[in-house]
Parts: sequence; C-alpha cells; structure tokens
Amino acid sequence: MISALTYEWRRLWSVRSTWVVSGLYLLITGLLGALPIYLVGENFKQSWNGLYSTNANFLCLVMLGIVASQSWGHEYRYGMIRITFSEFPAREKVVVAKTLVLFVYVTLMVVLAWSLLGLIGATAPAGRISKANPGMSLATGSDHVPDLWKVFVFSLAYALFSSSLVMIARNLALGIVLPLLLATTIESLIILLANLAKGRMDWFAHSLPFTNGQAWLAGTSDLRQPGLVFAAWVVGLFLLANIRIAKSDA
Amino acid sequence: MRVEVINLDKHFKKVHAVDSLGFTIEPGRVTGFLGPNGSGKSTTMRLMLGLDSGSGTTLFDGKPLRDHDSVTRVVGAHLDAKFFHPKRTAYSHLRMLGAEAGVSKERVYEVLELVGLDSVAKKRPGGFSLGMGQRLGLAGAMLADPQVLMLDEPANGLDPQSIQWMRDFLKHYASLGRSVLVSSHLLSEMQLLADDLVVIAKGKLIAAEPMNEFLARATGGAVRVRTTDARKLAEALQAQGLTLVATGEDEMRVPNVTTDRVGHIAFASGVPILELSSETASLESVFLQLTEGQEQYKIGGAE
Repeated sequence: MISALTYEWRRLWSVRSTWVVSGLYLLITGLLGALPIYLVGENFKQSWNGLYSTNANFLCLVMLGIVASQSWGHEYRYGMIRITFSEFPAREKVVVAKTLVLFVYVTLMVVLAWSLLGLIGATAPAGRISKANPGMSLATGSDHVPDLWKVFVFSLAYALFSSSLVMIARNLALGIVLPLLLATTIESLIILLANLAKGRMDWFAHSLPFTNGQAWLAGTSDLRQPGLVFAAWVVGLFLLANIRIAKSDA
Repeated sequence: MRVEVINLDKHFKKVHAVDSLGFTIEPGRVTGFLGPNGSGKSTTMRLMLGLDSGSGTTLFDGKPLRDHDSVTRVVGAHLDAKFFHPKRTAYSHLRMLGAEAGVSKERVYEVLELVGLDSVAKKRPGGFSLGMGQRLGLAGAMLADPQVLMLDEPANGLDPQSIQWMRDFLKHYASLGRSVLVSSHLLSEMQLLADDLVVIAKGKLIAAEPMNEFLARATGGAVRVRTTDARKLAEALQAQGLTLVATGEDEMRVPNVTTDRVGHIAFASGVPILELSSETASLESVFLQLTEGQEQYKIGGAE
C-alpha cells in the first residue's frame, strides 16, 4: 500500500498544473477574504468563522475539483491508467491510494487557506474581524456562517464528487465543470421548474446534491436531513465509480 | 521466469477478439508475437497484464500477477509510445513508475542513460519524437529490472541504429535468463530477433513454436539449382521420383529434398551444376502464407 501511496503522491506533485491550481486556490481564497475588508471599508464587520469559511465558496472549491479530477482524468487522457494498473493489478489499491492522497491534499490546502485567512484577519484594521461581529459567509452567501468542520468536510466531499465523476465518465472536463454547473446553475433551474410545477417535482428538487450540501453547510434549511442526502450523493457516486473501475477494461 | 498463458478469451460485443488462446513464454528466450492488424495481439497483452476483463489466466512463475509481492520486478510492460503525461519530465515519469518497486534515483538515471535519454531527463516528453517516446516506454518497462519484458510494437518509429540497439539489448536481456515477449509488424526484424514465435489471427492461435521450426513449415527442404543442361537434370531428378518447378531457362526449384541429394543425382547423371542452394524462407513469406485470408481488416485489391 505504501508503494501505491508513493506512486500517487509523486504523480500528484510532478505536474506543474497541481502547483498552479493550488496557487490559484490560495490566491482566490486570499482575495475573497481580503477584498471585502479593504474595499468595503470601515462598515465591513466580519466574524472569524465567517472569514475562515471563505474557502468553501465555489470559486475556491472548483480549484480543488480540478486537482481531484486530474487524479483520474490525467491517467485516462494520457493512457497512463494502463501503466498504473499494470503496476498495481489489485485496482482497489489504486483507488484507496488516490482517495487517501486526495484527502491529504485537500486537508493540506484547507489548512494553508485557513492559515492565509488567519493572517489576513490578523493584519486587518482593528475591529473589522472579531468574534463579536455578526458574521457573513461567502460560502453560503448569507449570514449563516458554517462551522469550520463543515467547511473542511464539504471541501473533501466536493473533491470526492469531482473525482468520482471522472472515474465513471473517464472525462477530465466533466469532473471540473459538472459539479460547478450543478451547484451554481443547473440545480437553481431545476428548483425554478419545480416551483412552476406546483409541487409535483418537489421530491426531485429536494434530492439535489448541492442544494442539500449548501443547506447542510449553512445549517439552516427546511429540507429534511440535507446532510444525509448530500452524503448519499457523494458516497453513492463514489461506490458507482468503484464498480466502474473494478469491472471495466483499463 | 516462465509465463503460461492459459485459455485467454475476450469478446468485444460481437467480435471474438481473443479466442481460447494459450501459449508459453520460456525464460532465456525472445518470443516474437505476430499477427495481422486487429488479430488481438494488444488485447492479449492487456489480458495477460489484467488490464482488460476476460476469461482465462496468465501465470508468471506459476502465480497470477497480482499474487506477486512486487509486480514490476516480475513484469515490465511497454504498451504504447505515448503513455505519459506530456508535461511530466522524463525523470519524474520514471521516478513515479519506480515507486512500486522502490527504485532509487540512481537507477532512474542509469536506465535513462541506457536508452539514450539522459540528456533530456529533465525535459517534458510532450515534445519527444515517436522514437524517443518508445525509448521512454522501454526505460519504464525495464526500470525495476523485471524477470519478464512485454513490449508491444517497441520498434515503431525507431531509426535503424536504435532498432539494432534494441535487438542487441533484448537478446542480451533474454540471455540473462529473462523472458521477453515482443510484438512487431517488422517481420524482417523479428526474424533476426526472436527465438520463438507465437502467431495469432482473428484471436486464434496459428502457431507457437521455435523460429526455425516455423520457417521449416514453408520451405519443406526446397532446393534451388542452376545448371547448363536443365532438361537432362530434370529427367534425372524425375527419374528419382522428385517433382520440380522450372523457375527460369536454366534454373529450377526442387521441393522436399536436400542439396546433398540433388548434388549426387547431378553428379551421377553428368550434369554440370552452376549453383546449388537450399531455399531459406523469409519469416514474411511463411507468415503471409499462414495468415492468408485471416486479416480482420482486409486491404482492397488494385484494379
């Protein structure tokens, strides 16, 4: 197992795109965290938790999604999957190694992002970042500030969702674009249609992955068990992806 | 290490790509893997490595590949010259591949030097030629010094010097007691390289035997003879029950006979011999003869 982890770790960090996208993730997180403090001026009041949840914004998450998609997408795009599976005929080893390395990567990036946001908060003009402030979160787009453990779990789940899509479709772009489109556009359109359908599509609208995911993140929703629905999507997709990897030709 | 391929079978929808295929790759020998386009060579190699799903087994030293502790020390495979990330340097590519067997940095540089890519070790292979891609693939396959090398069309895109280098290298590798399986369309090259042959067509086994036995299938001991008196020699040969085919005014081909016997008959009948040689069939001629009509994708005939 150690060798599969080493293989995957080297794979991840030996392409420039990982470094570039990781840098972009931190840059976007930093900009989204810092700009309101300095652009809005004295009237801007942010809580620490609100600041720390900045990196659960989809602009940041999509960067994690890119690296997650590349973990399988590069393998299929460049035929490397055949080399990888010929070195590790027990494919479950590869799946475990890729998933663990992805989790370590996301953890590392979230910790770096929080360190950066902490620095931004610490150097902000006095009074703008404070525990006492009513927070607002760029992740939820509201004053419902998520718990930090949820920001971390949501980041992991988003990355796993992206990589599972690539495992199933063997298409790098799909893993990057589809989660973002679902979260920002498609699910909103479905909810709009559901509203027009006068209740007949409610069950469908209430089962959407990111609608539930964001509701769980914000911690306020009239949806039933949004955390469970979101988890079911992520786990279900990952299980399907595993079946696809185990059964299909490389 | 002995490799036993047992009853491999694979369908692609309606196409029976590999049909109950079985053969053995012996250690210390280079085994050539031949077949027309679409005959199932690459699919067979993928099945052997467990990359494709299908039925049958391949045993490496009596065990399936996944039961070995270090797979890359058992088998090194090179399946395509473009199987690399174009932006990952040649060195990093090999460092990554070496993780499975814990290959050292020094070994990576050693292998890069061996295939002549040491000067581009830190270059991205996206700009490599096909030949350089082949060398990188070969470097990856031999990185962990495996007991078995499996190479799919490794000579494609190589210049004559590189082909000669590869031939010498593979022969040397086999001489160390390792097993080498090479598929190629370059039949003349294969004739110089392979000790044994496995020939398939439409997924079925046509032949699996040593090269000399395979070549003997077509020649049948034929002899070419040139003389000053073709008519008299023909009569003498026919009198001995031999059949012959005139191939020129003073030249003939006599099948199923040795040069010694033709020489004795000519001497006894007093016919001068200008030229006498046993006919050596080319691998190409035997291959074409055996696989005639077995192509998956036929080329249209000229009008």
